[in-house]
Amino acid sequence: MSSFAWRLLGVLLLCVVLTLSSSAFLTVGNLLNVLRQASLIFLIASGLTLVILSAGLDLSIGANLGLSACLAAAVIKATGSIAIGIGAGLGCGMTIGILNGLLITMLRLPPFIATYGMLWMVYGINYWTMAGNTIYGFPAAFREIGSGYLLGMPIPVLLMVLSLIVGAVFTRYTTWGHEIYAIGANAEVARLSGIPVRRRLILVYTLSGAMSGLAGIVYLARLNSAEAGIGEPLLPARHRLRPIGGTSLFGGTGSLGGALIGAVILTLVLNGMNLLTISGNWQPLITGVILLLAAGIDTAARKWNESQA
Amino acid sequence: MASARRRIPGIAWLLAVLVLFFSAFGTRFASAPNLINIGNQSSILLLLALPMTLIIMTEGLDLSMGAVLGLSGVVLALLLADGHALPMALAAALGVGTLFGLANGVLIVALGMPPFVATLGMLGVAQGIALAMTDGQSVGGIGSALPGIYASRWMGIPFAIVVALLAYATFHFLLYHTRVGTYVFAIGGNREALMLAGVPANRYHVLIYAIGGLMAGAGAFLLTGRMSVGHPTAAVGMEFDAVVAVIVGGTKLERGDGWLPGTVLGVLTVGILKNGLNVMAVPSSLQIASIGMLVIVALLLDSLRERS
Amino acid sequence: MKVNFAPLVEMRGISKSFTGVRALDNVSLEANSGEVHILVGQNGAGKSTLIKVLCGAHHPDHGEFLIDGKKVRIHSVADARRLGIAVIFQEFSLVPFLDVAQNIYLGRESRDSRKMHTEAARLLEQLGIPMDTHLLVNDLGVAQQQMIEIAKALSQNARILVMDEPTAALSEHEILRLFERIRRLKQDGIAIIYISHRLKEVFELGDRITVLRDGCVAATLVPSKTSINELVSLMVGREVDATYRRRFCEMPGEIALETRALSAVNGVRDASIQVRSGEIVGLAGLVGAGRTELLRAIFGADRKTEGEILLGGKRLMEGPEHSVASGVGLVPENRKTEGLALIRSVHDNLLVAALPRIFPNHIYRFRKAARVVADLIERLRIATHSPKRLARLLSGGNQQKVVIGKWLNAGSRFLIFDEPTRGIDVGAKAEIFSLLDSLVAQGAAVLMVSSELPEIVAVCDRAYVMRDRTIVGELQRSELTEENILRLAMHHG
Repeated sequence: MSSFAWRLLGVLLLCVVLTLSSSAFLTVGNLLNVLRQASLIFLIASGLTLVILSAGLDLSIGANLGLSACLAAAVIKATGSIAIGIGAGLGCGMTIGILNGLLITMLRLPPFIATYGMLWMVYGINYWTMAGNTIYGFPAAFREIGSGYLLGMPIPVLLMVLSLIVGAVFTRYTTWGHEIYAIGANAEVARLSGIPVRRRLILVYTLSGAMSGLAGIVYLARLNSAEAGIGEPLLPARHRLRPIGGTSLFGGTGSLGGALIGAVILTLVLNGMNLLTISGNWQPLITGVILLLAAGIDTAARKWNESQA
Repeated sequence: MASARRRIPGIAWLLAVLVLFFSAFGTRFASAPNLINIGNQSSILLLLALPMTLIIMTEGLDLSMGAVLGLSGVVLALLLADGHALPMALAAALGVGTLFGLANGVLIVALGMPPFVATLGMLGVAQGIALAMTDGQSVGGIGSALPGIYASRWMGIPFAIVVALLAYATFHFLLYHTRVGTYVFAIGGNREALMLAGVPANRYHVLIYAIGGLMAGAGAFLLTGRMSVGHPTAAVGMEFDAVVAVIVGGTKLERGDGWLPGTVLGVLTVGILKNGLNVMAVPSSLQIASIGMLVIVALLLDSLRERS
Repeated sequence: MKVNFAPLVEMRGISKSFTGVRALDNVSLEANSGEVHILVGQNGAGKSTLIKVLCGAHHPDHGEFLIDGKKVRIHSVADARRLGIAVIFQEFSLVPFLDVAQNIYLGRESRDSRKMHTEAARLLEQLGIPMDTHLLVNDLGVAQQQMIEIAKALSQNARILVMDEPTAALSEHEILRLFERIRRLKQDGIAIIYISHRLKEVFELGDRITVLRDGCVAATLVPSKTSINELVSLMVGREVDATYRRRFCEMPGEIALETRALSAVNGVRDASIQVRSGEIVGLAGLVGAGRTELLRAIFGADRKTEGEILLGGKRLMEGPEHSVASGVGLVPENRKTEGLALIRSVHDNLLVAALPRIFPNHIYRFRKAARVVADLIERLRIATHSPKRLARLLSGGNQQKVVIGKWLNAGSRFLIFDEPTRGIDVGAKAEIFSLLDSLVAQGAAVLMVSSELPEIVAVCDRAYVMRDRTIVGELQRSELTEENILRLAMHHG
């Protein structure tokens, strides 16, 4: 069975288990909630998936989300304009992404180091500029982004679906997507085959940054307040997300559909813990175990494939 | 000799610059108490960075060290609070750490899981167990024996620094003068060759991760002594600092090219930077930003020198 | 040459299968003390499997081993070593950041480090290449690394030395020295089993030759009683003329590529060459002369510092991206790390350089991609049962075809080859040359580096010779002989 199928099975299994354990699970309200949560995680994951496909890493997404959200908040308050605020937030996310890309391609820093350094820098700047304050109370129109509906779906979910579609199209149906897979598999071969590796890598990190920025804006809209630590609760989840979603950390294989499933699985777990009033303390353990299981299945599957060749 | 000799790396210059800068502009920086402070705080990081050097040399990674340290600390504190003797509690802490290290090793070497993923998963497991055991709270009441040992001095040198020095000496000897060390170079450089030479490479590979876990337990000993409590998330993120210290210190990410003295420099650099900024009363947010800059600058220096 | 009554080492009736594929079928091979027994055969004939069985890395399904006429068991690498069998594989078994002595004694470290170093130094001196045993292997050249491997074998009191394509990465000069050492080892009574694709060496060095084909022994012969053609026929299973005959280019076309005083960061200095369409031009020289560097500078893989590169009369902009777009393709020496992405499929590898050309609007269409790939697989006769097969699993010859196919797809009219037939068996070699031939007949131009002088003489219309990173001479067709090439390549002016 393909790894995608396994994961889909896992999702179904989880749903069955949760339905059986809690009567509150299978309600419209709860499911919508799950989807909304998942969509936030997925927005970030989609950009991150591209980075991983190129055999890179982006550890700065948490701080990116935070700074973008805070900047957007400040700008909305200062100018009164939602559009400019959103623009600022997205711009911030993209800028951080571009900087990451430049550090990695121009200065040849390993992605681990570059994005880790960026993480600290951005956190620092965020904390310093916020100076311990909280910005809250945004116009209703803005809050709609987090809590409103469009075409019958919550807007965050709509955004998730959109980014899934755009992302899937990008990776499978454009030459850029295929070039990124090639870079992830062997960057030198890609370079010697005429692919502009540097430009593509900068693109990939920029997209990741932009998606973090977008997620920050959506998160801001839902929370209706911004403070320096805004990105932090989401931080550990994201890193565990990728392997659960099936994107190999060696680059070159993986997909957005997989990232979606990963987001859904994680959210289901969190939701389930909520419904069953399991203390949040257990969360790392559960996600850790799921991660190991998913990775274990992947590794076993890969070995099986290799022995069949 | 697979050697402890190198051209003076970029990091050494950076370190020198930092020391000069802070001595000039931070009035209390170069004072004895402050230097001792730096030493104490860097000691724990060194305990993690030393095995991390070996792990990175073998093209691996251990992201679970911080969480394992936290868990070991919790176990240590709980046992002490319950009245057990210090040696036994210490043994338990070390045992817990080693166990997790072994688990990492088995997942990575025997099952073939990518190290990033395997240790990330174990991070969750260790963190989760620690949180569940303590409900997220600190564990106090550990008595005065451990804090007393931490505060003690041996020939004028604080305990933590003594431990760090001993650890460094042990690892240096291990890497450059024993068979195990030779095999660390081989596992990273040409694992096939080692196996063809009839050496059970897997066993040594797992051992490296087990040592990492053991050192996390040792780190817990120091940290709990310093804080006088055991806290599940006390060392969150420390493994990242350790990785940074190792890489900034000159160990490359592949082919078994490692430099242990560089790791010490890396740890000192991180420690001095954090401390220096504190002394100069730089707001902690900017401190964090500077660490980021530091990392980037140090590697930049190295890569520039390599290219010239 | 000492002759004992029983062969020093004998393998009888060895059979080995891997999940249904018969790799070896009742193979028998023996070597006497002081003999060089050469093993030849196509890729996939079973040579590697045979030596892996001999050194204990694989366990045979049937068969037995005899040393000095007595039956022995080889169940592990340690067993083989204890019996005095040592193997030197093509990819050396050396650890880059350990020093020479540590590498020689890997797995058998002694407590006394100084003694280890002295012993190692003594061994190397005996072999005739004294060197500082404290040097890191990573800092040494290929030829020296090979000597370390031999020293390693001798330090294990090896009496049977197996060498897998030892000359693949050596220069002519180094090959001669290697042969000297092998002759010395012969005098010490060591039996040497030697695998090679270079048939000339077989006759220079071999006392006996065994030809493997499809896992069986096709014949065991004495060099004086056979010929290259007969060997090749035995390897391939049919009548074959081994030397590729090429119809040389009478009327070359326009200048396809020209460099003027090209210098680059990789050390190439002041190189000026011309290649016309319809020609296959060779680039010869000793190892270290700068041939690969020149190719990379032309392709843009390494940055140029001075001079010009003109493609079809127009200045070529820097970088692989522009080279590829302008129709230049590079088939590198290390096809596994620089030519192909091994973990990707044949399909993906064939398309990777052609994406902008086949899909100019950036939209990837699977059906068109599949069609293009299928065409190419058929045209080049790439042996794979599915385009989705991972490139890693193909044989050397087929992998090379994929790399060439990648460039054909990209519309390359100027192809640069770095050691096009390295590690490829005789049958596939001929196919590749015939492919090159048909390409240039249609107006393409080829620049080719090869360390095998017979190849250059047989296939190229002209050749440039390099020495010390610059061009020292050009040989026209009538002057193109191995002697002339070597003279230019080695002359210390």
